[in-house]
Amino acid sequence: MFERFMHMFEIVANEGHGSVWMVLFIGFVFGAIIQYARVDKFEKIAGFAMLEDMTVPKMLFLAIGLASIGLYFMNEMGWAHYHIKPIMLGGLVVGGILFGIAMAIFGKCPGTGPISVAEGRIDVLVGAIGGIMGGLFFTWAYPWLKPLMGPDFGKLTLPKLFEGHESLVVLIYGVALVIIAFLIPNIEYLDPEDREEKADI
Amino acid sequence: MPRKISWLTGGILMALLILFTFSIWGADRPIGASTYVPYFASIIFGLDPAEYEYVAEIEKAGAWEGVMLIGAFLGGLFMSLFVTKTFRLSVVPTLWKERKNNSVVSRLVWSFIAGFIMIIGARLAGGCTSGHFLSGASQIAVSGLIFGGIVMATVVITGRLFYKRKGE
Repeated sequence: MFERFMHMFEIVANEGHGSVWMVLFIGFVFGAIIQYARVDKFEKIAGFAMLEDMTVPKMLFLAIGLASIGLYFMNEMGWAHYHIKPIMLGGLVVGGILFGIAMAIFGKCPGTGPISVAEGRIDVLVGAIGGIMGGLFFTWAYPWLKPLMGPDFGKLTLPKLFEGHESLVVLIYGVALVIIAFLIPNIEYLDPEDREEKADI
Repeated sequence: MPRKISWLTGGILMALLILFTFSIWGADRPIGASTYVPYFASIIFGLDPAEYEYVAEIEKAGAWEGVMLIGAFLGGLFMSLFVTKTFRLSVVPTLWKERKNNSVVSRLVWSFIAGFIMIIGARLAGGCTSGHFLSGASQIAVSGLIFGGIVMATVVITGRLFYKRKGE
């Protein structure tokens, strides 16, 4: 197990998607932003499910809106590349429903889970063990599940559907998401056990 | 130092991190955070890539995300200890007590079940909040938009059915 664990760093070092230190740095900043905005809390994701807290959708829409415009520009300049996931319709629909149900109950997602464990949440640690077992089950059942994940409709993006107007589509999409982020009501559940207050910045 | 940042500051910082990660100076790839779970499962249970097709398929992405999530754990630990000062051992979240129940067993059992279902859902869909939402929808990928729409709707419907109404 230890050998396999150390092999993980070797794979990353040889893969050409940033050095091990770079990937650790990206992760550190990812965890820091999420913890600082407190969106790793149950009250933020499950709070959205109960419509008691709108921080998560507001932050998601804003981040995606801004990043979509920036990424298009960087791709045009050759500073970044698109990495599009295919439309595996069966997998997206069934997986999305299962994921949504679990997210509302758990109040976490796979990215915020470890950050939550880092602030001392025992329930999330138990959920993570459940996740590992889920991963084990999926690995075992993959040969049977794989045919159910299709059909594959290819790696499509919205701007590609409007050929010749790509930059306009991206601009409209990005600006629309930013506007939506501001329009979503600024409701927040302030956790008394955390002595949580509204943020100043 | 402020103990918390708003959705606005958080959203801007997250957009910058997405762009940096995608850039050729960062990792030249999207952020993803669900492949690492079956990858860790394969390490813990010593699953052989030669025997399990899926282990071989996810090895590279799983390793990258594994290292990234170690970083995320450390980032969360650092902030909760020194900046937000919110580190404390806890089992049942405040809002769960308010809208579900006070039972430790109930919260732990549901967490385990939800964690189990969550990873199966994410791996069926080929991504999660990070891969499909943050990275996918930033590329305006149709796959990310489908996933995003379905998840948002299911989250709110489940929230309505699973928890008690406010004040009940």
